[in-house]
Formats: sequence, C-alpha cells, structure tokens
Amino acid sequence: MTLGTKNQDRHSFYLNMGPQHPSTHGVLRVLLEMEGEYILEPEPVIGYGHRMQEKIGESLTWNAFMPNTARIDYLSALMYNHGYVGLIERMTGIEAPRRAEYIRVITSELNRIASHLLWLGAFLLDLGAFTPIMYTFDDREQILDILEDVTGSRLTYCYYRVGGVSRDVDGTFVEGTRAFIRRLRSRFPMYDDLVTNNIIFIKRVKDIAQFTPDMAMRYGATGPILRSTGIGYDIRRNEPYSVYPEFDFDIPVGTTGDCMDVYLVRVREMEQSLRIIEQALDSLPEGPCMTKVPRRLKLPQGDASFSVEAARGELSYYLVSDGSDVPYRLKIRPPSFSNLSLLPELCRNMLLSDLVMALGALDLVIPEIDR
Amino acid sequence: MGEEKKSVLRVHSYAELAHRREESGGLYQPDAAEEQPIIRLDLVENILNLCRANSLWPMTFGLACCAIEMMCLGMARFDMSRYGAEVFRPSPRQCDLMIVAGTVNRKMAPALITLYEQMAAPKWVIAMGNCAISGGPFAVRENYNVVEGVDRLIPVDVHVPGCPPRPEGLLEGILKLQEKMTGTRYPFPQFKPPR
Amino acid sequence: MTTPNKLINDLRNLPATVHEVDYRQWGYHLDVLLEAGRVRGFAGMLRAHRFYLVFVSAVHTAPAIEIIYQFACYSRQCRILGRAAVTDNGTMPTISDIYDGANWHERETRDMFGVLFTGHPYLEPLLLPEEEADRKPLLKNGSAVKAADRIRRPNQAGIGTAEPHQGQERDQ
Ligand code: SF4
Repeated sequence: MTLGTKNQDRHSFYLNMGPQHPSTHGVLRVLLEMEGEYILEPEPVIGYGHRMQEKIGESLTWNAFMPNTARIDYLSALMYNHGYVGLIERMTGIEAPRRAEYIRVITSELNRIASHLLWLGAFLLDLGAFTPIMYTFDDREQILDILEDVTGSRLTYCYYRVGGVSRDVDGTFVEGTRAFIRRLRSRFPMYDDLVTNNIIFIKRVKDIAQFTPDMAMRYGATGPILRSTGIGYDIRRNEPYSVYPEFDFDIPVGTTGDCMDVYLVRVREMEQSLRIIEQALDSLPEGPCMTKVPRRLKLPQGDASFSVEAARGELSYYLVSDGSDVPYRLKIRPPSFSNLSLLPELCRNMLLSDLVMALGALDLVIPEIDR
Repeated sequence: MGEEKKSVLRVHSYAELAHRREESGGLYQPDAAEEQPIIRLDLVENILNLCRANSLWPMTFGLACCAIEMMCLGMARFDMSRYGAEVFRPSPRQCDLMIVAGTVNRKMAPALITLYEQMAAPKWVIAMGNCAISGGPFAVRENYNVVEGVDRLIPVDVHVPGCPPRPEGLLEGILKLQEKMTGTRYPFPQFKPPR
Repeated sequence: MTTPNKLINDLRNLPATVHEVDYRQWGYHLDVLLEAGRVRGFAGMLRAHRFYLVFVSAVHTAPAIEIIYQFACYSRQCRILGRAAVTDNGTMPTISDIYDGANWHERETRDMFGVLFTGHPYLEPLLLPEEEADRKPLLKNGSAVKAADRIRRPNQAGIGTAEPHQGQERDQ
C-alpha cells in the first residue's frame, strides 16, 4: 500500500508476477518490491476478472440473475446458489420443503468436497508435486458425475430454486453418493501417505505464512484460513441456515495458522462433509421437492442479508429492494476478497517461493474476488 | 505514491491498441501480407504442419470458469495427451496454441494482446466458451467492462461454444484445429458422423 | 436476540439511532443509523467489542449516497448494519486504520460510486482499469435514483425522509 515510498535507501527492485502466472490461480497480479530473494512489499493488483456481477444483479429480475450466481465462484457454485435463494426466501417468507433442504445440504457438501479436492491438487501442484492433482481430479470427476445427473451441468450449476430445487433426486443418486463416500474414505489413507506424511511437503509448508486471530479479525478473514488459527467460526454452526443444525459434525481447527494447518483443516473438513452427507442420506425425508411460488414474485421493500459458508469462507449477499422484482442494489461479499487483502501483511519479508505457498493456502478464485 | 511506481503499475503498453480494437466492434483482421512466409516450400510446409498439429503446446491461460474445464481436459479422465497437446506451458514464448478460456475484460485485454504478440509464429488461438466468443452472459445492455469476444482483439481459429464447454467439446475444438492446420482430421481412423 | 443490551446502549451513546431488526426475515440484528462524523467512533467501538468487518459498500439513494458497513462477530451470533450518508461534498472518513480490511472495500466503493474516503492511505482504483477510474458504474442515473424512504422498510428511519422536497421520481 505504501510501496515505493519507503525502502528508499535499500537496493530494491520491482518484480511483476501475473496477471498470467500459473500459481496465481487465474488472473491475479502481484507487484512485488524485492530485495534479492526477499519480498519487501507485495501488492496484489486485482480487477483482471471483473465481470460486473453487481451491476447485472441490479438490472435483471432476481429470477434472471440466478444463473449468474454460479459464475461468481464456479468452484463452489451451489453454495452461491444457496445463498441467493436463501436470501430471496428469507425476504419473501417462502419456505422450501424439508426434502429440498436436505437435497441442498447434500449437494452443497458434495460441491464443497469437489472444491477442496481441486484446491488440494492445485496447492500441491504449486509446490511442484505433479502426481496428486491426477488423483484428486479423478475423485472430483466422480462428484461431477453425481451432480451432473441431478443438476444437468458439470460446473456452473443453477439447481436451487426459490422454494426448492429444480429436480428431485432418485435412488441412483443416493446409491451413487454412498458409493462415492466409501470410495473417498478409502482414498484418504492414500492421500495421507502420499502427502501429509511426506517429509518434503512438511518442510515446505510448516511455519510458512502464519495467520493470527488478530490479523483475521482486522481483515475480516473467514473460512479455513480463520479456522487454522484456532477460531472455530463457521456460518453453518454460528449462524445456522437451512437444516444444518440437525446434523452432527465437528469444525476442524488448527493451532498455529501456518500453511500446514490450513492444509489439515481443509482435509478434515472434507471428512466432516462426508459425515454430513451420510447423515442426510440416512434421514432424507419423503415429500415434494418444490413448493408453489408465484410467477412474478415481488420482493418486499427493505434490505436483507444472508450469509452462507462457502468453500472459502463467509459469503454474504446484501440486497436492497424498492418493492419491485428487480433488486435496487445487490452487494455480494465474497470470502476471498477479504482473505486476499491480508496478503501484504502476511508476506512481508518472506521468500518469493513461500509467497506461492501463501497464495495457494488462501485458495483464491479470482472472478469471485473481482466479481 | 512515486511516479516511478505508477509507471511500474502500468506495464501494459498495448492498452490503447486494445481499446481501439475493441471499440471498432468488428472482427480483428491481421494484415494478410505480413503473415506470408518469405520462402514457401509446399512439401516441407506440409510435413511441418503435420508435426505441428500433432504436437500442440498450449499455454496455461485460465481466465475464469472455463479454465477449470480446460484443466479437466488435461487431467486423468479426459487426458488431452492422447492427441499430443498435453504440454501446458506457462510462458508464451514456448507455446503455439493459446486457449482463451474465460472472460476477457478491459483491464485484461492489453495483457492478452501482449501475450499473443509474445508467442512465436506460427500460432493459433482457440476461443473457449461463450465469454471468449461473444461476451456470453455478460454481454448485457449495461456492459461496461467485458470485451464482447476476443476475436475483436486477436485472430481466432476455432470457437468452442458452451458455458462452459464440456472437456469433450474442447477436445473436438483441438481436433478441428488440427484439421484446419493439415487439411485432414487426425487421429486415424476418421470419424464420419452418420447422415 | 443474542445482543447484549450493553452493546445497544453503547451504540445509542455514540450517538446513533439503533433499531432492532427481525433476524428471521431480514438476516441481521441491529440497524444503526449514523452521521458521517460518527463512523470512526462506531468502528472503533465495534473493534473493542471484537467484531470483524464483513464489508463496506454503498447504496446510491437520494439525497445522498449511503455507505453501508456490516459487522459480525466470531464468538456470538450478531450482525450489525451501519448506515451513514456521505457528507455534502461526497466524502466519508476512512476506517481503514481501524480495520485494515476496510482498505480494499473503500477503494472498491470509490471505484464504483466515486465516494472519496478522507484519510485513506492509498485511494487508487482497485477493480477498474486505471484509464477508466472515473466511470463510477454503480451510480444510477436520473430517475432511477430513489429516495431513501422508498427503499427502506416503513418503520426504519431513512436518511432522506427528512427532506421531502428532494423526493425522487417513480420508477420508469
Ligand atoms: S463462458 Fe460461461 S463458464 Fe465460460 S468463462 Fe464465461 S461465464 Fe464462465
């Protein structure tokens, strides 16, 4: 932020990383003031993926904006769907049937696992380990198969509707998901052998990029980054929505907040997601998956907010309505925006190669940050 | 903030060019005369094209959602290496295929042109996804930032529609590109869709 | 309602107008209406109560742009929404020295609405390209701008309600 103003007396130079760089996960650009291998001051430059989502949100009817929510963060598209329908349902007082809520939870958690699996592969790829990403993508494809069957698309889902979900699930879905749970459980020991206990990996990530609770609070960081510091804050538990209170799951937390902890938190989160899915499948209620919703539903005048726990942290929608069916203002608060803004403080006086670790641990999705 | 820093921030020397091309609103047509080689030996050219087509080196150029499907294509299930195109290179100087996977906006456009210009000829471009083709879901009336189609900025060889296209779709795009380069569709045997 | 009364009292002493909001319908607990000059005090107080910043943004209403602050807490369920109208010359005191995370949010708000945050250390364009930093895309034009009382709940005192002569036009 004060780049170029201090450090006058030191022999520093600028290094430009991105916007097209394989380890910035998309089109992030980081401008670095360096001294040798050490970073004096990193400055993320964002906006290369800005796609006017908020402007579109206030020019289309709330209904027509639904498909766009999936394109904000395409890796956890269903959570973004969930937040948006949750917001509209909360404002208008529509309640989705219980079966729909269960389906939402199951598919959301599957989506979360898919997102974490992709992160796991990409994080290790940044480290220089090429093999794990092949395995994680293999597992991820299984999830995509299951979700494709019910939602009709592989990546940018538009599955949830205000008042339910667009298609009911059937026996094949339940069977397929159970088979997937068994499969992924049997793969975790392999990942542990391959990665977690690998001495090269441990040496590379231990004590790198330590987050602290105070830092998280000042920047508004949420998600696995925050939980790795020991604060068990999870919207699913602290501000419950949907039917999450009915399930028994733990919130994994770390202790020191370094990259190793972030890694462990994410891996354990996948296990907890499996637990939630299992419980939801066991108690999947019968009944309709959609209630009747009027065609042209007007939003009541006023402003409302809805938060969900997306794969990367707290996602908040804030909508101001003037009483018509077009939102007057739609603010989307993506988790990665705040998480990335702590990068300058996190990476000061760090080695350049460790910056790649820090960026990987943050799990960035650039179009989500830029919207 | 120092002036020096400001100039560091603004590295995109193609900014004006990008805006001019975008504003023109039409297809970008490269100068045909410039593209012609000085000496032309047809037989050698054909053999070289055969080699080039079966060993494409794409650039890792993920911009948005479509990039994930592009990654899927390179990974275990779809396995692009069956068609000789799996060597993803992060540096434009080592690539001959640019897969524009995602939305290009006005801030990114100069960087896109820079990258394209840095690639060594002969080079090809695949526009993947509706965003790269025409702006996709963002080509709305209120559009203030998204470039409606990369073919306004750089010449495009193959368009792959979809939002996002499935990996199979991109695969087909690569096969189409090979066909364009050599005049024949590889790999053998040729697949003819039933009439 | 999980909000302790002490917090509400502290807020009222700022002074600020505080409304309790039905969480089940609107998704937050407290609606705090402030003057621009009190925003820094408000942020400092919430920092002391260990709240974190969810976002800073703005809504373009008449007569003035309203800046929105949302805060939440890691340890208990409480979401606070602060609203303050920008001053007459379109500025707002920054809170980026109290909450570092506000730095980027304020830069974004400047991009989108052209609000200047006084005291901000580095108010450069964040999302928009440098050449187009003055585009202010989220400002509404002409008749699309609505008075604050037309976009707020009826019982929620709006900032613009006091000046009916400023009243804006109906939609389309
Ligand atoms: S075409 Fe669709 S999936 Fe691809 S980048 Fe654009 S919005 Fe995303």
